[in-house]
Amino acid sequence: MSYSYPGGAAPALCDVDLDLQEGALTLLAGPSAGGKSTLLRLFNGLVPQFHGGRLAGSIEVAGLDPARTPARRMAAIAGMVFQEPEAQAIAETAEDEVAFGMEQAGVPPFEMHRRLDALFDLLGIGPLRHRRLSTLSGGERQRTALASVLALEPRLLLLDEPTSQLDSEGAEAVIAALTGLRDRGLAVLVAEHRLARLLPVADSVLAVEAGQVRALTPLAAAASLDAAPPVCHLGRLLGLDPVPVAVDEARRALAGREIPLRRPVPSPCTVGAPLLEACGLSVSYGAITALGGVDLTVREGEAVALVGANGSGKSTLFRAVAGLVSPSRGAVRLAGRPAASRVQDRTAVAGLVPQDPALALYRDTVRDEVAETRKLRHMEHASGAQLARWGLEALSARNPRDLSVGQQQRVAVAAMLAHEPRLWLMDEPTRGADHLARQWLATTVRQHVHAGGAAVVATHDFETAARFATRVIGLDQGRVVFDLPAARAFAADGPCATQIARLVPGALTMEDLS
Amino acid sequence: MHTLSWAAWVTLVMSVALSTSNPLYLVVVLLCVCLVAALAPRTAQAVAGFRALALLGVGLLVISTGIAVVNGSYGEHELFTVPGPEVPDWLGGLSLGGPVAAEGLVAAVLRSLAILCVFLAFAVFNGAVSPSRILRSAPAALFHAGLVVTVGLALLPASVDDVRRIREMRALRGARTGVRDLPALLVPAVIGGLERSMRLAEAMEARGYAAAPATGRWPRLMGALSAPLFLAAAWVWFYYERYRAFAAVAALVGVVALVAWALLAARGRSTTRLRPEPLALSDRAGIALSIALTALTVVGKAAGWLDLSYNPFAGLEWPGFSPGGAAIALACAWPALLLLTAPAPGTEGDTEPLVPTPAVEA
Repeated sequence: MSYSYPGGAAPALCDVDLDLQEGALTLLAGPSAGGKSTLLRLFNGLVPQFHGGRLAGSIEVAGLDPARTPARRMAAIAGMVFQEPEAQAIAETAEDEVAFGMEQAGVPPFEMHRRLDALFDLLGIGPLRHRRLSTLSGGERQRTALASVLALEPRLLLLDEPTSQLDSEGAEAVIAALTGLRDRGLAVLVAEHRLARLLPVADSVLAVEAGQVRALTPLAAAASLDAAPPVCHLGRLLGLDPVPVAVDEARRALAGREIPLRRPVPSPCTVGAPLLEACGLSVSYGAITALGGVDLTVREGEAVALVGANGSGKSTLFRAVAGLVSPSRGAVRLAGRPAASRVQDRTAVAGLVPQDPALALYRDTVRDEVAETRKLRHMEHASGAQLARWGLEALSARNPRDLSVGQQQRVAVAAMLAHEPRLWLMDEPTRGADHLARQWLATTVRQHVHAGGAAVVATHDFETAARFATRVIGLDQGRVVFDLPAARAFAADGPCATQIARLVPGALTMEDLS
Repeated sequence: MHTLSWAAWVTLVMSVALSTSNPLYLVVVLLCVCLVAALAPRTAQAVAGFRALALLGVGLLVISTGIAVVNGSYGEHELFTVPGPEVPDWLGGLSLGGPVAAEGLVAAVLRSLAILCVFLAFAVFNGAVSPSRILRSAPAALFHAGLVVTVGLALLPASVDDVRRIREMRALRGARTGVRDLPALLVPAVIGGLERSMRLAEAMEARGYAAAPATGRWPRLMGALSAPLFLAAAWVWFYYERYRAFAAVAALVGVVALVAWALLAARGRSTTRLRPEPLALSDRAGIALSIALTALTVVGKAAGWLDLSYNPFAGLEWPGFSPGGAAIALACAWPALLLLTAPAPGTEGDTEPLVPTPAVEA
């Protein structure tokens, strides 16, 4: 089948042929804006019933045509979980949220109670049953969303990047729930960018790019996809057959093999004068301590990866440094001087890219958007070279709102940092980013640091962080729990072990191998 | 208290406050609303804080009184004169400044007092009843309205949050906040809000919250018929006094058509409730009382009973007082009785304390 969005020039999906089986977990992989979300929405009729557009070809889900079956009927066959837990909550408490779909479907109360008991048990969220949704963590909310979809007992489960907003623990819990459901006979279809956890458990892979869909086995995907996790790239480099998809598998295949490291291992940058010094920084929101006495020094030439679960205080640390919240105790020094009181003056030295920076874009062209920041800072207009630095020269005349999510994100980062601050503070720039965007981020941060700048990047993605970080700081409940050089933090016995480090002693990423 | 009871109470306060211009009754209604406000439960998910809404109400009172002063007012008891420019006639009789009379001022204050009562009552309603409870209590025929309300209610706080975040991002880019910044704040906030509401609507549709299987031709015809019937009834009632009986019959038929449409539309969409909220006897009594008193006030206003109307321009006399009118005004406090005797909803049946934690990382 083929599909075009209303007003879309190119078709979003082209000549798709596929067949999904019950009891199988299918992974949708591919760059953002490649058609993954559209393909998912075909199966429950949101495309074209909710979104409109033109559809050609035929589709059948459990004997029904989703393009013509009422949404209410489709909901009982194909359940869908969306990317952001916040954007799909309707009720107030977890129990009401899960019951909502059943109430709409007219399920009798005794049956509702039976299914609620079973689901809360199955997904391991029993203790949360009467909690308010707003008090749950991202992983807990996402599992509640999963329960609310499963309550209608669908035969097909569709998930649109369900773990992209979650920390590792939350993501693990959601994926464990998915494999459990697959084993109970559901057909599960997951679109995701970070394949490291999903590829080993997937039964098949659909590679979606520019509207084209290719069906692959997990092994073929590991051997061919650029977005495959580092362990696959290692397998390909060494010519292993089959290419391993998980670390344990690779370890067995590599037993006794000598893997040459790149010599010399790239030396860490020379570290210069301190750009950021935080001393005993504490922040409280009401009775809750978000940051409890953080000491931190970041010097020129350092790229710091800031890691920690959701709610550990990463965003608060950035906000306190940028002056968006005033700390209850402690002081901040920027570039060797006590930090100014105003946000505008602080961010002249320490530029902050908050979460979802694309929200702030409002000019008509990419060039204007970058120039806007420089104008606000009374600097001369952005030259072509400055746009080139962000990889935006080809997009300079485009409207930011017409770009893909990944490109938008890049424009937003460029806009927030266009005044060339020496210290970059980036709050989860890898969230929801595809492998190209992550690659771009690692390269850009590394260039900045090599040029004598410094960066602090909060992230859950250790593999990407290992490609640029020189140092890793772990936060937990508002306190620094470790502060290690990258070589130790990402090592096999470190707190943020990468796949390569677990397989090849002395290496952290593919770039360390020759 | 049941959602329906709260709705009935707001209707009662609204009809009493807007029907009477008697300052004695208005003050009683205001005190009753304040009493209920003090006792009413407040959920964490209210659209806007009670305090904010109450402040807005008081602000409106001050502003409308201020406008009355600037606009000038007529009456026997001249208090003072506000200097103002001569406004040319072609501006349609607009006046700025001039003599301010006690009568005009009293009339303005009474008008704002009534609005303040209604405002506070809505603030209480907003705090006591969570959006999702309203959605669940909505009749099935109002499916589209329910969808719009849910999306709207989710949108409002999120948009306020978006504006805050966009302002922060502007500051991070070096902007000093000023009036010229307004498009930079509002354009992304509106776009973000629209995208967010689309996502929520999509999620609701994916969960099966959708219209009934298309209702048949007859029920739809009945729903469509009710509006012209009501219009015709009103027309005949006011212009052809001899045929008022026909008007009453037409209105009745219109009501029947509307009810039939609602019932038929609901039949195609059978929903169930996990925990049905039973309408307690006390709630039923409160709803019945509210409906009866609402009807009595509306009729009383039209017929001039119970000293409901007060005309400050008739010499600023002490307003009339009747025990019946005072009783109606006092009856606006009925939820207070229920709230004092019964535990508030939300505390019963919860095994764990509902402690809201602010989103630290968000």
